[in-house]
Amino acid sequence: MERNFADQFVVVGSDYKTYETEEKKISFLERLKGKPILSIIILSIIVLGCVFAEQVYNHDPTSFYLQNLNEPPGSEFYFGTDSLGRDIYSMIWYGGRVSILIGLLGMAIITVIGVVYGCISGTANGKTDAIMMRIPELINSIPTLLLILLLTSVMGSQNILKISFVIGVTGWCGLARIVRSEVRQIRSSEYVLAAKSMGGGFFHIMRKHLIPNFVSTIMFVVVSSIGLSMSMESTLSFLGLGLPVDVVSWGSMLSLANKALLSNTWWVIIFPGVFLITTLVCITNIAYYFRKETNKRESYL
Amino acid sequence: MNRKGMLAEKILRRILWFLISMLILSVAVFYFARLAPGDPLQSYYGDAVESMNSTELDAARARLGLDGPIALQYVKWIANAAQGDFGLSLKYKMPALDVITPLIGNTLILGGVAYVLVFALAIILALFCAMHEDTWIDRIICKVGTAAYYIPSFWLGVVLVLVFSVNLGWLPSSGAYDIGKSNDLLNRIQHMILPLTVMILSHLWYYAYMIRNKLLDEIRKEYVLLAKSKGCTKSEIVLKHCFRNVAPTIVSIMAISIPHVLSGTFIAEAVFNYPGIGALSVTSAKYHDYNLLMLIVMITGVMVVSSSIIAQFVNEAIDPRMKLTEVSAWKETSQTSSL
Repeated sequence: MERNFADQFVVVGSDYKTYETEEKKISFLERLKGKPILSIIILSIIVLGCVFAEQVYNHDPTSFYLQNLNEPPGSEFYFGTDSLGRDIYSMIWYGGRVSILIGLLGMAIITVIGVVYGCISGTANGKTDAIMMRIPELINSIPTLLLILLLTSVMGSQNILKISFVIGVTGWCGLARIVRSEVRQIRSSEYVLAAKSMGGGFFHIMRKHLIPNFVSTIMFVVVSSIGLSMSMESTLSFLGLGLPVDVVSWGSMLSLANKALLSNTWWVIIFPGVFLITTLVCITNIAYYFRKETNKRESYL
Repeated sequence: MNRKGMLAEKILRRILWFLISMLILSVAVFYFARLAPGDPLQSYYGDAVESMNSTELDAARARLGLDGPIALQYVKWIANAAQGDFGLSLKYKMPALDVITPLIGNTLILGGVAYVLVFALAIILALFCAMHEDTWIDRIICKVGTAAYYIPSFWLGVVLVLVFSVNLGWLPSSGAYDIGKSNDLLNRIQHMILPLTVMILSHLWYYAYMIRNKLLDEIRKEYVLLAKSKGCTKSEIVLKHCFRNVAPTIVSIMAISIPHVLSGTFIAEAVFNYPGIGALSVTSAKYHDYNLLMLIVMITGVMVVSSSIIAQFVNEAIDPRMKLTEVSAWKETSQTSSL
């Protein structure tokens, strides 16, 4: 009898498993669709080249080849030499470390200050919040460059840590504002109240409940702040207020640009700049991937 | 309350807030500057400091307002500043105000022209992109624009100088005018082309993209469907209906953008050696000339705050919904609902 049942009745969904296995076979290429693969590949080539600079470069980036001042690109010096006789090809890989390090440090400082400040302001009561939000407003009403100039001139001679600090301290306002508005939306939700009533401290609540909620929203700002820090470093170095010439970075290489203009040695300007911009564009492309797609409705036009 | 009274109150409150923030800022800068490693006496007198005896040193300190505790120094400085005396520039050895006055005009002209051009072009570009949303031309403009925005503007400037001044010799590379041609308008315009190009290229897309996105939100509203069923053409809908609705947002963006554009002006000035307060601020930062820097910060602050007040007026003129009474009513409800 039992066997008959199995014959008579069609078991609904008995072939479910086969469908499932078929659906799981998404090819590797398809999964990569929509992700910024090209940017990731180029960026990892540049970063790996900088990390393993000792293996990549063919000259000592810190020594001066005094017989070969302003040598155009050729078979010995791939990207030529600058006005101090240093090999640009080697310096790019070696100096990229400093540039990327400053980018990451700047991002770390911006993120920590922005997130903590935004969380405090978002959870605070109305008056404290209003006062706390005035400070970024005040900082934003002065051009960033001017503030950075002020700080750098006060700080005296520059090193990597100081310059990242200056960039971080002036760049967190936008992030803090976004974090605050996100926190205000979730601060009175049940789970935050529950955590609070069970005696959870501020940093516990921030780590366990607040940050996981807005991390996807701020990813775009956080990632693109790497690029902004890097470009700010190079701008400062170009203006003569950043790293000194003997600390090799893409920015400090470009600080020789004015001299290079006089002697018309284009390779001193173009090569570090192209590397810097390629990195910036790759980082931005990756950052855009993190940006939440706004809900796209059909256009009425 | 009547509308005029409220307007006056609002402006007064703004100016009060501005004064307070300037005060806080000046205290911070003043203390920072005095804590800094560089000795202001050194930068004013140079090596002569080392050969001075103690009475001469005291006299020199008193002359530059460096004697007494920092708090007292600050009170003196602010009292003098209220009378229009912002102290001596340590590098140029003359009153800071006199150093800056001839340069403000140059900065305002360069920044102002760039500002107008950036927004005029941004609006045109945004309208064009919004009307051709998701076509190939829109996508190309988006990609190119994003890339252009992330090129550091100083590098763009240097490359432009390399191409157009050094190699082609078409345009001058630095200054605001050639020597002896300060009244020659054509010569001045020639000097402004490269800085303007840099500023437009590095700012244009940022704002065009913002406006484009606002327009795209607007196109998805239902009145567009009504206008379409009425028989309006595409350009009519966008220009007559959508653009009008977006206009107040654009004015707000324009007001917020002023510090950003000024920052760009400063970099452009520094790259092209354009005699303005931006290039001056870079040199004074190099020479630890705090009196001058502080004055530049104050002047920039005044520019930014006054322009945001102007933006408020313009917004009210073009959009009746922004009238003060209704804005404050909206604010009250939003405050209660957020608690």
